[in-house]
Amino acid sequence: MSEPLLSIDNLHVKFARSEDEVYAVNGVSFSINENETLGIVGESGSGKSVTLMSSLGLISDNGKITSGTAKFQGIDLLKLRPKQLEDIRGREIGVIFQDPMTSLNPVMRIGDQIMEAMLTHQFCSRKEAFDRTIQLLHEMGIPDPKSRFKNYPHEFSGGMRQRIMIAIALACEPQLLIADEPTTALDVTVQMQILALLQAQRKQKGMSVVMVTHDFGVATNFCDKIIVMYGGQIMEAAKTDQFIRQTGHPYSMGLKRSIIEVGHRGLEIIPIPGTTQALTDVPKGCPFAPRCQFATARCFNEVPKLRDFAVDHQVACHHAEEVVSHAS
Amino acid sequence: MANTVVSTNKEVVLKKENDRRRSSFYQSWKRFKKHKLAIIGLVWVVIFVLTGIFGPLVAPYDYHKVDFMAINQGPSAQHIFGTDNVGHDMFSQIIFSVQNALVIALGATVVSFIIGIIFGLWAGLRGGITDVIIMRAVDFMMALPGFFFALILVVLLDRGYTSLILAIGIPGWAGYARLIRSLVLGMRNGEMVEAATALGASQAHIARRYMLPNVVGSMGVALAFGIPGDLTQIAGLSIFGMGLQPPIPSFGNMIAQASANILGFPWLLYFPAGVFAITLLAFLFVADGLQEAFSPKGGK
Amino acid sequence: MAIVKYLSKRIVEIIITLSMVIAVSYTMMYFSPGGFLNTSVMATALAPLQGQNPQLYHKIMLEFQNRYGLDLPLWRQILLYIWHELTFNFGNSMQNPSMHIMTQLKQSLPVSALLAFGSVVLSVIIGIPLGIIAALKRNTWIDYVVSTVSLTGQAIPSFVLAVILVLLFGVVFQGIVPVTGWGHWQETILPIICLAAGNVGVVARYMRGSLIETMRHNYIRTAKAKGVKYWPLVMKHGVKNSLTAMITVIGPQFAFAVLGTIWVEQIFAIPGLGQVMQTAFTSFDYPLAITSVFLLGSMIMVMNLIVDILYALIDPRVKL
Repeated sequence: MSEPLLSIDNLHVKFARSEDEVYAVNGVSFSINENETLGIVGESGSGKSVTLMSSLGLISDNGKITSGTAKFQGIDLLKLRPKQLEDIRGREIGVIFQDPMTSLNPVMRIGDQIMEAMLTHQFCSRKEAFDRTIQLLHEMGIPDPKSRFKNYPHEFSGGMRQRIMIAIALACEPQLLIADEPTTALDVTVQMQILALLQAQRKQKGMSVVMVTHDFGVATNFCDKIIVMYGGQIMEAAKTDQFIRQTGHPYSMGLKRSIIEVGHRGLEIIPIPGTTQALTDVPKGCPFAPRCQFATARCFNEVPKLRDFAVDHQVACHHAEEVVSHAS
Repeated sequence: MANTVVSTNKEVVLKKENDRRRSSFYQSWKRFKKHKLAIIGLVWVVIFVLTGIFGPLVAPYDYHKVDFMAINQGPSAQHIFGTDNVGHDMFSQIIFSVQNALVIALGATVVSFIIGIIFGLWAGLRGGITDVIIMRAVDFMMALPGFFFALILVVLLDRGYTSLILAIGIPGWAGYARLIRSLVLGMRNGEMVEAATALGASQAHIARRYMLPNVVGSMGVALAFGIPGDLTQIAGLSIFGMGLQPPIPSFGNMIAQASANILGFPWLLYFPAGVFAITLLAFLFVADGLQEAFSPKGGK
Repeated sequence: MAIVKYLSKRIVEIIITLSMVIAVSYTMMYFSPGGFLNTSVMATALAPLQGQNPQLYHKIMLEFQNRYGLDLPLWRQILLYIWHELTFNFGNSMQNPSMHIMTQLKQSLPVSALLAFGSVVLSVIIGIPLGIIAALKRNTWIDYVVSTVSLTGQAIPSFVLAVILVLLFGVVFQGIVPVTGWGHWQETILPIICLAAGNVGVVARYMRGSLIETMRHNYIRTAKAKGVKYWPLVMKHGVKNSLTAMITVIGPQFAFAVLGTIWVEQIFAIPGLGQVMQTAFTSFDYPLAITSVFLLGSMIMVMNLIVDILYALIDPRVKL
């Protein structure tokens, strides 16, 4: 296999607030190859969205990337000029966002919004773009595409709008699709439909998908590899089957335990104690230490590095072995 | 024993200071201070008010006094702002105009405010059909500029201090009524109140800590904007010749007359117009500063 | 058709409001000291006639009485008058009993309309780009300058600005632009600038605020993720969504423009509806006074209607 499609290395991102700074991403490294799916799991505030958005230049003005690289097909996105980045966005890399209700331009016809993706990158002629749009709408399962082309976003339901978003993202046949919590804002039944749709598209077009989610079940279902993030750092990274069999990080273990699974009545729901805090200082030790039952003094003073734990399995924890033996 | 008392006092003082720091009024004042324009405005407003109160007592000339030996003179040592075509000292005229404008504008604002509170409270507290009728009336009043109504009222009431105050004040109730009504409704149904009540806070506590700052802030800002609006109206009425009648001086009169004779005697226009403009701006800057102070909007 | 229904509904509302204005004005005139007829300038003008030619005098007075139904109860008088106004049957001016109000208005209404509408158009044309630039260059010196200038322009009432302009161009820079009179196109420059100046500020501020707010929305992020370039992003996605918020401010601004027109006509000596209205009020020429208020009021309402229709055209979510 050639070099990875997307490779993020030691990324650090911080945000400036009026009184202090928030260190959102603190040394994140991972990569994804062609035709692979990667799931990034974490709570709100773990830095999972920021990692990807900052690589694409989509974070707000008060955010700064303080170090690291984000290489797409070998080119460091962070070093590109805005215009070059604009060429890649939407063309080689597509993005789906979390909230379909507010992510579409309310005064623009949806057909035009899909066509815009193609015309901006001069992907094809105007006529071809129109035909492609109809085709895309059809593939997305939107009935009567020809007349719905002229409709505005408010004339569609949430699930439909998300499909339109997907159509926009896939319009130029990107190599990489980034899905930032694509199903979080949707009803459960609709969630399943959208996920199935994404699966089908992925298989058909052979593209890679990075799916950011806080829904553990979605991640394990959909993705080949999983990364667990907390406090702006990666806690655990593994191939999905490995991960399901054995988790090495206290946080991941906690996540697993806190899920209510279908068919397991009466099992105690064990939430992870404590709440996430925004990091206003560069972390000195493991960010999860305050909430961790295995934490020792070392955990508070030494940042655990991501290390090999098993085949296709890395953990950032000083006490991973203990965690495993505890679970069994 | 004495030591304990002393340290307790200190704690009390510290606590009071901390409470003061956290009180929303103090925070608003801090925000207000940040706007340089608002501070400049405030200084000028104070000057204006003082002139209005004490000016006529120290004005060099009575506004009635005419001096045919000194007509149409430019600014000089004896007549700081010059004289007009019958020998009135412009400086004194302006001082008296300040007083007039102040009295009428403030009076009108108070009148509008009082009527507005009455209707606003009535609509908000009664609800139902009373509310609907009153709000329709508000829409009606706001459809046309109040100036038109003021003009018509002046015809009805003739021109004196009281009548002008009423003529400008009465049509102005609509804006205040709407504001009071929305404040009342907000307080009755507000989520803050629900939450506070759920936590067991007493009614008085709720009223003092949550409602009062909100209400005072909004009303204060509305009033602050009302004064320059009424100032404009009285000047506008005077330009039309529907304001205070000569020989009582007023800005509008001076401006209207001076516009006719501008070629020969531009100072007749500079000074009244200048003073009026600066005063208006001052009140507006202060009002804007107050608005920012009580409900900071995006600047960042 | 939906739009016809909407228009008719609005027109009915406008008529009702204007009728109420007329009713209120008429009532107040009615109760003014001395009553409708006798203190009017017409009465004073005609007084000598009473001695000279009593029959003619009485004939005129009788005609007047009949026209306004002065012997009828108040509420019927009001209804009668409203009917007259709405059917554009304005009657005669009291200052000049031989002249129909209609003729006077025919000359002056277009003048004021030109000033008012013209200034709004001008302020929109200048204000929107200014607002956009200020929003895009937030917190830089450009933004600061635009904000201060617009705040000041908004604050100063048009007559003060008019005065300043008269001073500038009448005294200091004589001869460049005419300051008084009305006959050549050049004379429109100063008054329109004067009226527009205030509005430009408001339009720019609202545009700026609206655009800044719009750019925070998620669909801007989506467009950026699509790779849309800067200016198409700002215009098609940003400005197009900000226009609606800004349009809502044009209605009230037009009302101010109309007010401003009346004052400005005084200062620049322009023979428009404002001047007519002024002489009407000062001479207690009631029919003319009420009629001019009625007309100015209808201009404002028509403009509000136009704004509402524009709003519906721009925002597809609004159904008329």
